[in-house]
Amino acid sequence: MKRTIFTTAAAMLCSTAVMADVNVGNPMALTGPIPDLVAPMAQAIDLAAAHVNAQGGMFAAGEAYNIIRADSACDPVAAVDAVTKLINVNSVSAILGPVCSGSTIAQAESVSFPAGVTTLSVSASSPAISEMEDGTDLMFRTAASDAYQGVALANLAMEQGITEIAVSWANDDYNAAIAAVFAAAFTAAGGTVTANEAHEPSKASYRSEVATLGSTSDNLALFAYYGSGGITLMRNALETAAFDTFIGADGMLSDEVIEQIGAENMGGVTFTTSASDPTTPAYAAWAALAGGAGVPASDPFVPNSYDAAFMLALAIEKTGSDDRASVSAALRSISSAPGEVILPGEWAKAKSILAAGGDINYEGAAGNQDFDANGDVAGLFSKSSVVDGAWSATLLK
Amino acid sequence: MWNSFGFEFVNFYFIPGLVLGCIYALGAIGITLTFSILRFANFAHGETMMTGAYLTWTVMAVCSGILGISVHPLLAAVPATLLVVLLFLVTDRYFYKPFRKADTIKVVMASFGMMLIIRSAVQVIWGPNQLTFIPGIAKPNPTLMDWSKSVDLLLLIPNKHLFIFAGTIVFVMALSYLLNRTRIGKAMRAVSDSPDLAHVTGIDVNQVIRATWIVGGACAMAAGVFLAMDIQMLETTMGFRMLLPMFAAAILGGIGKPYGAVFGGLVIGLAEELSAYPWLGDGPLLSPGYKTGVAFAIMVVMLIIRPQGLFKGRSF
Repeated sequence: MKRTIFTTAAAMLCSTAVMADVNVGNPMALTGPIPDLVAPMAQAIDLAAAHVNAQGGMFAAGEAYNIIRADSACDPVAAVDAVTKLINVNSVSAILGPVCSGSTIAQAESVSFPAGVTTLSVSASSPAISEMEDGTDLMFRTAASDAYQGVALANLAMEQGITEIAVSWANDDYNAAIAAVFAAAFTAAGGTVTANEAHEPSKASYRSEVATLGSTSDNLALFAYYGSGGITLMRNALETAAFDTFIGADGMLSDEVIEQIGAENMGGVTFTTSASDPTTPAYAAWAALAGGAGVPASDPFVPNSYDAAFMLALAIEKTGSDDRASVSAALRSISSAPGEVILPGEWAKAKSILAAGGDINYEGAAGNQDFDANGDVAGLFSKSSVVDGAWSATLLK
Repeated sequence: MWNSFGFEFVNFYFIPGLVLGCIYALGAIGITLTFSILRFANFAHGETMMTGAYLTWTVMAVCSGILGISVHPLLAAVPATLLVVLLFLVTDRYFYKPFRKADTIKVVMASFGMMLIIRSAVQVIWGPNQLTFIPGIAKPNPTLMDWSKSVDLLLLIPNKHLFIFAGTIVFVMALSYLLNRTRIGKAMRAVSDSPDLAHVTGIDVNQVIRATWIVGGACAMAAGVFLAMDIQMLETTMGFRMLLPMFAAAILGGIGKPYGAVFGGLVIGLAEELSAYPWLGDGPLLSPGYKTGVAFAIMVVMLIIRPQGLFKGRSF
C-alpha cells in the first residue's frame, strides 16, 4: 500500500513536471544505414521548434515546444524500444516520425496505435503505410507514398530508353514495397523485368547476386539503403562490369555513394527522390529560413521534416492542450482549407488566428500537405544524376 | 563472356566465397582460441575487428593528412595492431579477469556488455556515418588476367583479394609455427586441454591468457582490416555482422581447434556464396536473400549430428 502511494505520488510529480511544456517524441534513424540523410532532417525539425519557441511558444502561457529525440536506427526493434520509452516515460503528446518505413510500421502496430498516440512520419514512404489502419486515424506522413514514386521511376526508365531491366531489392519494408511497385509499373509500361531478386542487407559481398542478375541484363534497378549494402552491391556490380546503368530511389541518394564509388564510375546512375516545387511561395519562405540557419533546404525529406514538426505544433496549439486524443483531428484541420494560408515560419501569425478562434491552412515547404483519407499527401519527385562530382537534381513533371 | 561455365563460376562465386572464407577463418581463430583457453564465447570479438579497421583507417588518415604519404592498409595495420592488442589486454584485466572464477555465463554477459560499450565508443569517437576506407572500384589485376587468359581460364581477381589470400596464408602458417614449435604455443595447448593440470606442472596460466589475447587480437585485427579492404568502407556494425558466421565456422571446425576454425571459415564462406549459384536451371539455387541462413543451417545441423565439430573439438 505504502508503495502504491509512493508510486502514485511519483507519477503525479512527474506528470506535473511534464505539464509545463509540450513534449513531442522524435525517433530518428540517427545511427544505422542512413545517418548522412537523417542529420539534416533532424536539423530541420530543431529549426521548426526554434521558430515556434522564438515566436511566443505554445498556448497562452508561452510554454516551450520540446522535441524529445531518440534513436530508431532504421530498425523495427530499435524503433519499438525508442517509442515505448517516449510514450510511457516521457509521456509525449505525439510521435514525430520514425524515418524508415519498417520502423514506422513496427512502432505504430505495437506501441503508438494501442496507446492512441498520433504518428506523423517525416519520410516513411512505403505504400503499406496507407492501409495499415482499421477505423482509427492515427497515422499521417508528410512524404508521398512510393505507390507514386515507383511509377515515376518506371516512367523515367522508359524515357531513358531502357526496355529490359533486372531488379534487386533489399529485404525490408521500404525497399521491397517500392521494388514491387516499380516492377509492376515497368511491366505495365511495356518493359521487361528480366530478373527480380531480393538480397539480404549488410552482407560483405554481393558478387554472386550481381552475377546471377548480371547475366540477364545490363540495366539494374537497385532498391537498397546506401549504408546497408547498397554501396557494396553497386561496387561489386561495377567491378565485375555486370551492369552499366543503374536506377534507384531515395535510400541510395547520398553524397557517401559518390565519395566511396567515385564520380568517374557513376556515369550511368540515376536515382529519384521525393522533392518540392521550388516555385511555390511556401518553398521560397522555407528556403530563406533554412538558408539563414545553415540547413540544406532541398536535401531529401528535409523540407518534409520541417513541415511535420511545424504542423504538429500547430495541431497541438489548436487543441489548446497537450492531450493526445485530439491531435489527429486538429492535424487535419490546420493543414487543409478553409482557413488563412500559413507559410513555413509564420508561427506568431498562426498563433494569433488560432487564439481568435479562426481557421488556418498550412502550406508546406515540401508541398501543400493536405492529408487524404489515409493520412497521405501528394508529392513531386526529382531525378538525380552525378554532374561534376556531385548530385544534380531535376524535378520530374 | 557470360557463356563459359568456368568463368562465371570461378570469378563470381568461388573466389568471392574464398575471400569471405578467409575473413571468417581469421576471425574464427580468435573465437576458438578464447573459447578453448578462457572457456567463454567472446561476443566482443566482432567489435574488436571493427575497432582494428577504424584504427587502421586513422593511421592511414594521419599519414596522408599530416605527413602527406599514402600508406597501404596492411602497413598501417601494424601500429593499429598494437593498439588493438592493448585494448584486448585492458578489457581482459578490468572486465573479464574479475569473473574468471565465476560461472561462464557471467563472463559471456560481460563480453556482451563489452561489445555494446566498444561499439558505442567507436560511434562517439568516429561518428555513426560510414567512412570511406579506399575510394573507387577495384579493377582486376591485369598481369594475372593476361596470364590466365593465355591458359584459357580468365581470372578476374583485384589486388585487394590477392592481398587477402596471401595475408591469410601467412597468418595461418605463423599460427601453426607458434602453436607447434614455440614454448608458449605448447603451453597454450596444454592450458586448453586442462588448465588445472597445466598449472600444477608450472605453466604460468596468466601468461598463457595474455598470449591468447595477443594472438586472438592479431587475428581479429587482420580479419577486420581484410574485411575493410574488401568492402572498402567502415561502419560500426561491420564486425557484429560477421560474428555469427564466425561462430558457425568455429563450431563447424570444432571448438578449440585453430585449424578447424580455418577450415570451417572457408566452408561457411564458400557455402554462402555457392548456395546462390544456378546449379539447377537458370535461377539461383537458393535466393541470395537467404545467404545468411545457409551459415546457420550448417551450424544447427552440425550441433545436432556432430557437436564436437569436424576436427573433434570440445562439445558442450
